[in-house]
Amino acid sequence: MTDPASDAVHGRHLRGPVSGPIGRRAWLVGVGAAFAAGCLRDAPPVSEGASLARLDKVWGVHGIAGERMHKPRAMAIGPDDRLYLVDFTARILVYDTDGEFLQSWQTPDSKSGRPTGLTFDPVANELLVADTHYYRVLAYTPDGVLKEDRTVGGVNGKAPGEFGFVTDAVRDSAGCLYVSEYGDNDRVQKFSPQGEFLTQWGSHGTDELQFKRPQNLLVDPQDRVWVCDACNHRLKAFSPDGELLFSWGVEGSGPGELYYPYDMVMDPAGDLYVVEYGNHRVQKFTQAGESLGVWGEQGSGPGQLWSPWALVLDSLGRLHVLDTQNHRVQRVIV
Amino acid sequence: MFSRSLAFDSPWWLALLALLPVLWALSYRGLSGLGTWRRFGALAFRSIVFTLVVFALADAQFRKTTDRVTVLYLLDQSLSIPEAQREAMRSLVNGLVREHRRDDKQDRAGVVVFGADSEVEIPPIDFNYEMSRIESLVDRRATNLAGAMERAMSLFPYDSAKRVVLVTDGNENAGDALRQARAMADAGVSVDVLPTPLIARSETAVDKIALPSDVRLDQPFEARIVIDHQADAGSSAKGQLRIVRKTGDVEQVISEGPVTLKPGKNVFSVRETIDRADFYTYEARFVPDNAAGDASAQNNVATAFTHVRGKGQVLFIEDWEHPGEFDRVVDGLQREGLEVTLRQSNQLFANLAELQRYDSVVLANTPRTSGFGDDLPGEGGVTVVTDALSGFSDEQVEMLVRNTEELGCGLVMLGGDRSFGAGGWDDSPLEKAMPVDFEIKAAKVTPVGALAMIMHASEIAQGNYWQKRIAIEAVDTLGPRDYAGLLTWQPAGDQWLWGQSQGGMIPVGPSRQNMKARVDRLSVGDMPEFDPGMKVAAAAFAKLSTANPAPAIKHMIIISDGDPSPPTGATIASLKKQKVRVTTVAVGAHGPAGHSTMEQIAKQTGGKYYVVRNAAALPKIYQREARRVSRPLVRELAPAESPVKTLEHEIVRGVSENFPPTSGFVMTTLKDSSLVEVILRSPVPTDAESSTILAAWTYGLGKSVAFTTDAGARWSDAWTEWEDYDRFFSQMVRWSMRPTGDTGNFTISTDVVDGKARVVVDALDKNDEFLDLPAIGGAAVRPDLGSSPLDFRQVAPGRYVAEVEADDPGSYMIVVSPGAGQGVLRTGVNVGYSDEFRDRTTNVALLDSIAGLEAKGGAEGEDIATATGFELTGLDAANEIALSDAYDPYRRDLPPAVASQPIWPLMVLLASCVFVADVFIRRVQVNLAWVGPLLSATKRRLFGGEEREPQAETMARLRSRKAEVRETSTAAGSTRFEASDETPPSADASPLDELRTPTGATPKKPTTPPKQSLASDAKPTEEGYTSRLLKAKRDAMKDRDTKDK
Repeated sequence: MTDPASDAVHGRHLRGPVSGPIGRRAWLVGVGAAFAAGCLRDAPPVSEGASLARLDKVWGVHGIAGERMHKPRAMAIGPDDRLYLVDFTARILVYDTDGEFLQSWQTPDSKSGRPTGLTFDPVANELLVADTHYYRVLAYTPDGVLKEDRTVGGVNGKAPGEFGFVTDAVRDSAGCLYVSEYGDNDRVQKFSPQGEFLTQWGSHGTDELQFKRPQNLLVDPQDRVWVCDACNHRLKAFSPDGELLFSWGVEGSGPGELYYPYDMVMDPAGDLYVVEYGNHRVQKFTQAGESLGVWGEQGSGPGQLWSPWALVLDSLGRLHVLDTQNHRVQRVIV
Repeated sequence: MFSRSLAFDSPWWLALLALLPVLWALSYRGLSGLGTWRRFGALAFRSIVFTLVVFALADAQFRKTTDRVTVLYLLDQSLSIPEAQREAMRSLVNGLVREHRRDDKQDRAGVVVFGADSEVEIPPIDFNYEMSRIESLVDRRATNLAGAMERAMSLFPYDSAKRVVLVTDGNENAGDALRQARAMADAGVSVDVLPTPLIARSETAVDKIALPSDVRLDQPFEARIVIDHQADAGSSAKGQLRIVRKTGDVEQVISEGPVTLKPGKNVFSVRETIDRADFYTYEARFVPDNAAGDASAQNNVATAFTHVRGKGQVLFIEDWEHPGEFDRVVDGLQREGLEVTLRQSNQLFANLAELQRYDSVVLANTPRTSGFGDDLPGEGGVTVVTDALSGFSDEQVEMLVRNTEELGCGLVMLGGDRSFGAGGWDDSPLEKAMPVDFEIKAAKVTPVGALAMIMHASEIAQGNYWQKRIAIEAVDTLGPRDYAGLLTWQPAGDQWLWGQSQGGMIPVGPSRQNMKARVDRLSVGDMPEFDPGMKVAAAAFAKLSTANPAPAIKHMIIISDGDPSPPTGATIASLKKQKVRVTTVAVGAHGPAGHSTMEQIAKQTGGKYYVVRNAAALPKIYQREARRVSRPLVRELAPAESPVKTLEHEIVRGVSENFPPTSGFVMTTLKDSSLVEVILRSPVPTDAESSTILAAWTYGLGKSVAFTTDAGARWSDAWTEWEDYDRFFSQMVRWSMRPTGDTGNFTISTDVVDGKARVVVDALDKNDEFLDLPAIGGAAVRPDLGSSPLDFRQVAPGRYVAEVEADDPGSYMIVVSPGAGQGVLRTGVNVGYSDEFRDRTTNVALLDSIAGLEAKGGAEGEDIATATGFELTGLDAANEIALSDAYDPYRRDLPPAVASQPIWPLMVLLASCVFVADVFIRRVQVNLAWVGPLLSATKRRLFGGEEREPQAETMARLRSRKAEVRETSTAAGSTRFEASDETPPSADASPLDELRTPTGATPKKPTTPPKQSLASDAKPTEEGYTSRLLKAKRDAMKDRDTKDK
C-alpha cells in the first residue's frame, strides 16, 4: 500500500499559514506540531486490523482554530460528499472527502456543553445538529446559516416536546423527525414534518424496551428507525411507530460483540457499520446482527482508533471514521 | 556584499620567513640523493610546512568585510510619552524599515522598547516584519535611556555596521545616557535621535500630607497638604480638596472644600485632633474642576499614617455560620479593658495594613472555610453551592501568620469542633505559627476509613489539572491506615488508577507517594455512564469489609459534569446496603439534567451534593470530604474532666486552681520545641502529647496561644459560671498582645532615594546609651497592600538602617520591632508620583549631544527631526519621516564591519599534513612501472593472443631500471636488496623483485606463460606484505651469498 496519509498531511501544510486571528507564534507551533504529526504518520501503519477494510487516508490536525479540530464528536455527510464535523470547541467544520477544509461556523451557545450529534437531511437540504446540552435540535443550511424557525426543543424536561440530553435527530422519508435523548428519561420522540409531537418510546433502563444513552439514530430505506443503545451495548430497530422490530448485541470485545456502540451507517446492500467507542473499532453487521468483520484497534497510529464517536459512508462507498481522541478522520475502503 | 582577506594579529612573526632561503640551502645538499623531482618536491613541502608554522605563530586571521548595516530602533514607552506618539513610533519603524532597509545587503532591523527597563520587541532580523502592535511590557514609570542603549549593544551582530535610532523625549530619570552613548560611539555605533515633542499641559499633583511625628491623644495638631501645580506663570487651577481620615472600616471626611492653586507649591493646613487611640490613615485628594487641564490624574492623591497608642485592641473573628457563640468571651474581654472588634469569618481583613491597628487576633472556633452546612447524621442530599463557601483565603492566612511572625501581633486560637485540624487548618501556614500541630501523630486505636473517588471532570476548563489537584489533596488528607482508590474512564473501560489487582482500594500509608505519582500521570477519558464505575467501586467496598482492618467509614466522591448515563437502582442499593455515602461534585454541569442525576445519587446514599461554580473551591471540598474519612480529631469526654495545670504561667496567674470540667476538645500534637509551654492539659487521654488544652509560645516577634476546648458553647458549659472566666481569657489575650513596653528611646526616620525607601532607627536606652538590637526587624506594607520585610543592618553604634524597594507611588507603612519585649514602632513613608510627570519639555539638548557623537571610524549621528523637517507628532508625521529622502537609517557612512576568524589551528593542521608528505616523498619511492604490465595483461585477457613482445619490452625496461637502482644505491652508499642475474622471476615475486635485476641483463624467459602467471598471481596477492618483504630479504641474502662466492 502506498502511504497516502503522509502526502495528505504534507500537502495540507504546503498551503501556508492558517488565516484568521492566529498569532505568529501559534502558527509556528502549529506547523511544528503538524510536522511532527506528519512524521508520525509517515510511519507504516501499525495495524490494518482484520480484512474488513483497508486504510486509505488519514487527515486532520489537532487545534482549536481554522481547519484544525479538537475532539470532534459527531459527523454527517451531505449529498455532495461534504463532511460536516462538530468538535469540542462547538464549531461545525466542513471538509471535502479528502480533508480539504471548506468552511466552519460556531453554534449559538456552548457554555453548557457542545453538540454531540449531526445528521444531514437531504430532503430538506439541511444539517440537523443535536445541541445536546441545550436540549434542542438546530437546523442549518449546508452553508451554515441557522434556520431559527426550524429549531426543535430547547426546554429541559420529560414532557412531550421537552428534552434531556439530545443525542441525535433524523428524518424519515415522510419528513417526520425522530429525536433521541438521555439523562433521566432515555427515549426517542417522533414529530410530524410540521413539528407536532406524534409519539415517543423508551425509558431509562436495561429492559428490552428501555434505553441507556441512545447515542445515534438511523432511518433505513424501509423507514425503520435504528437506535444505538450505547450503554446497553446493543442495536435496536423500530417501526416508524415505535414498535420494536428486533434488538441484538452483547457486551464484549470479541467479534460480534459490542462495547458502547456510538454511531452506525447502512451501506446500499443493507449491512450496518457500527463504530464502537469503547472497543475503538468499526464492526460490520448484517441486519440480523451477524458480524462480518472488524477494522481498527486502540492506538494513535494510522489504522488505529482512540475513542471514535462517529462514521459516515460517502458516495464512493468509502467509510470516514471520526477518530475523536486522536483529533482526526480516517478514510477506509471496505 | 562580502570581501575576504587574510590578516595577521602578530605580523612580526612573519619575519621568520626570511629564514626560508637558509632552509633551502641546508636541505638542498642533504636531499641530493633523491633525484631532481623528489628533491624539489621535498624542498617545496618543507617550505610550505615552515611557512604554515610561521603563519600560525603570526596568528593568522581570516577576515570578512561586509557593508551590511544593522539598525536597532529604541522606542521610549514611558508614561511621559502619550499613547498617540507611542503608536506613531511603531508606524515610524515599520515605515523606515520598509522604505530604507536594503534586502540585497541583508540589512537587519530590530526593535527595543524601554521605560524603566528594556525589552527586545524584535531581535535584529534581515527581513521586513511589520509590527501590528507593541507586545512587550515594560515598566513605564521611569525612563532609562542608558539601559536601553546597553541592551541594544548586546543585540548587535558582529558582522555588520551598527546604528541605533533613539526615539524618545530625552527626559531620563535613571541611568546616564550620554555616558553610555560615548561608550557606544567608541565601539563604532552611530546613534540617530528623534526627539518626540511633549505637549505642554499644566500638571497638578498632591505632593504629600505632612503629619507631626509625635501625635498624641486629644492634642490638636496640624496636617499639611502640599500640592504641586506646574503651569505657566499667572495661570491658576481650581478644584476640590478633600481630606479623609480612615481607621479600620470607618472613613471620616475631616475637610472638603474648593481651593485655588497657584503655579508652584501650594500648602494647605487642617487642624485635627485624635480622641481615640488607634491607627489612622489620612488621605488628601485634589479633584480639578477642569480635568482636561491636568496632565495626569494618577498623582492627585497622597496618604499618610499616624498611630496613637492606647488600650489594647483585639480583633475577634468568629464563624459566620455560627455567630454569637463567643459573646460571653467578648463581653469578658471588654469588661477587662480591652477594645474588641468582632468580625465574622466572611468579612475578614483585606490586607496586612488593616491588621496593624490590632495587638492580638483571636480565631474563635472558626474553620478555614465555612458554608458546608452542618453534618446531620442520616441526612443526605444536602446541596452545597460553592458560591456560599467562604472563609480565609491563602493570602489572608499568610497575612495572619506574618502579622505575628514579622510584626509581633498576638494570635490566639480558641477551640471548638470547627477549629484546629477539625476546622481544616492542618497543613496551613497557621499551623506553623501555633504551639501545637493539628494532626495526631500518635496513631492509636482509631477508626479506619475508605474513600473511593470517581473522576470525570475532563470537560471543564483545566479539568485534568483540577482532578490531579483534588486527588492529591484527598490522598494527603487521608490517614496512613485509611483506604483510597481512584476510578477513571480509560480506553479499556472503568479502571482503578492503582491497586487494580488488589481490588483498587489500598491503604494510603505505604503507597502515598506512589499514589501521588500515579495521579501526576492521570489522564481521564469521557465516561459514557456512571453505572459500571460505581459497580466496580461497590465491589471494592464489599471486598474491604473482609479486610483487616475493615473500614468503619465508607465514602465515595464523584466529580463529573453530569452527562454520563445515571446508575441503576441496583448499584445504588448495593452502596446503601454497605453504608457507602456518595458525595457528588457537579462541575460545569450541563444544566438541570446533569444536576438531577448527581443530586439523586447524593440524596439516595446520604452524601452531599456540591454545585461547583468556581473550580478554586474544589480542593476545599476534597479536603473536607476526605477528612470525613480520616480519623476524627474531636475528642469528646464522658464524663467531663477538669483540665490539669502543668505550668505556672502569666495566663493563669491569679486564676483559681480549680478549672471547671470540659467535655471535649480538639486533639492536637505538641510541637517538638523547647519554646512551647503547656499550661493546661486534659487528664484523658493520658498521652501528654495529644491532650493539650492550653499551650503558648513565642513565634517570631509575636506570641501565639492554642486553647483546644471551647469557651462554653458546647463542651465547657461549666466554664461560663466560673468566677475567673473573664480574667482567664483576658490574661490569655493580653499575654499574646504586641509588646507595649517603652524601655528604650527610639527615633525612626524615613526618606526615599533612587526608588528605595530608607528607614533609619536610632536606639538609645533610658540613660542615652546606644542600644544593641540584634533582633531588630520589621516590614513595609506597600501601597498595593503587599508587604516586604525590612532587613536592618547596623551602620553605627545604636543606628540601624534598612531599605525597601519603593517603586510604586503612594504611602508605605513601616513597622519596626526592635526586638522581643520592645514596643513596635510604626511610621509611614510617602513616595511621590512618578518622575515621568515632572518634565514638561523635551530634552533636545541631551539628544543632540548624543547624536553629535562621532562613531569611531564613521560619521556623527543625525537628528531625524532636523534632517527631515518633521516632528513625531502623530501617524502622519511618522509616515512623512519614513518616506523622506533626507533621512536614511541604512546609509553607508559607517566603517564596514569586519569579522575575523582565527585560523592558526587550521595552519598547524595543514603543516602537519604537509610534513607527512615531506617525509613520504623522501622515504618512499613510488614506482608506477607495474601499471604497464597490468594494462597489457588485462588487454590480453580481454582480447586473447600470445603477445610476447610487450612482455619482452617490459622485462627489458625492468632490467634497465634495476641497473639504474643499483647504481643509485651504490652512490648513496646504502644497502639495498640485490638479486642475482640468475634469479628467475617467479610467479610469487616480491614487490622488490624489480630492484634486483641488473641493468642490461638478459631477461630469462618466464617459466610460466603470462596467462598462467596472471592466474596464479591471485595466490601471492593473498600473502601479506610483510611476508613478501621477508621473502625478498631472504632472496637478497641468497643473492649476496651467491655473489660473494
